[in-house]
Amino acid sequence: MRRLPILRPVLWDGVVVLAAAILALGTALALLRGGEARAAAVYADGTELDRVALDRLEGPEIRSYVGGGYTVTVEFDPDQGVRVQKADCPTQDCVRTGWIRSGRQAVVCLPARIVVRLEGGETEDGGPDAVIG
Amino acid sequence: MRLSVRELALCAVLSALAMGLGWMESFLPAAPGIPGIRLGLANTATVFALYALGPVQALCILFVRCTLGSVFAGNLNALVFSLLGGFAAMGTMILLSRWEKLSIYGVSIGGAAAHNCGQVAAAVLVLGSAAPLYYLPVLLGVSLATGSLTGLVCARLFRALEHAGILTQNA
Repeated sequence: MRRLPILRPVLWDGVVVLAAAILALGTALALLRGGEARAAAVYADGTELDRVALDRLEGPEIRSYVGGGYTVTVEFDPDQGVRVQKADCPTQDCVRTGWIRSGRQAVVCLPARIVVRLEGGETEDGGPDAVIG
Repeated sequence: MRLSVRELALCAVLSALAMGLGWMESFLPAAPGIPGIRLGLANTATVFALYALGPVQALCILFVRCTLGSVFAGNLNALVFSLLGGFAAMGTMILLSRWEKLSIYGVSIGGAAAHNCGQVAAAVLVLGSAAPLYYLPVLLGVSLATGSLTGLVCARLFRALEHAGILTQNA
């Protein structure tokens, strides 16, 4: 058998803890710089399925998406944000995430490979850019 | 590298133990809103193996318990996450275990953190989106606790085995 490690916590463990904490904070800071969300985009398997402009909504809107054999129902609300209302995936992590509101937040359904991502600023390119005459 | 029969049997027992712990853990309620949060009890077997047997044996046990665990759980989709996270954790722990100033707690926490990073990386690859990175800060924070728990269990285990004279320090 190899030599046993030190069996009680030592000060050097703090280095590992610090490294993990710095990584956590760094990722958190980089991701939370999103600001107010203006649009939500839904991706399945990396390809964009739908895009909803939250600031153009008049009331809550519910849409369903199918991915990986599972159906995910997403609710878009101009005040509360976006959430996965229900899904038939086995883990239900997406439903339990709840409402997301700001910047770069996202809800992920792994079995369905569906990602609902908030973005700031971009809206549906439904209408013309300019009308002349 | 040759395994003695005793070592081989011990690897098998530890693999089975890890699978059993993983299965038992699946009955515990998951934290709301944070996918992939688990206590990581099955990792106590691999961390134990890393020190009691060696890195190669620990890697074998890890591979067996991830693969068979996924098969028995009926969820082969989760296998890529399990393997990527597990091997990231194992690699980190093998490296950290060489640093003699670190206790088993530091190694376990490092392993737990790496495990979560590996799983998030797998999710990013599978989904083709950077969205899973959003979960990383919380997962890393929790890994401090779960890594400490694994370290605690293994530390007590080693101390008890040493006290009972079962594990002797032979080369």
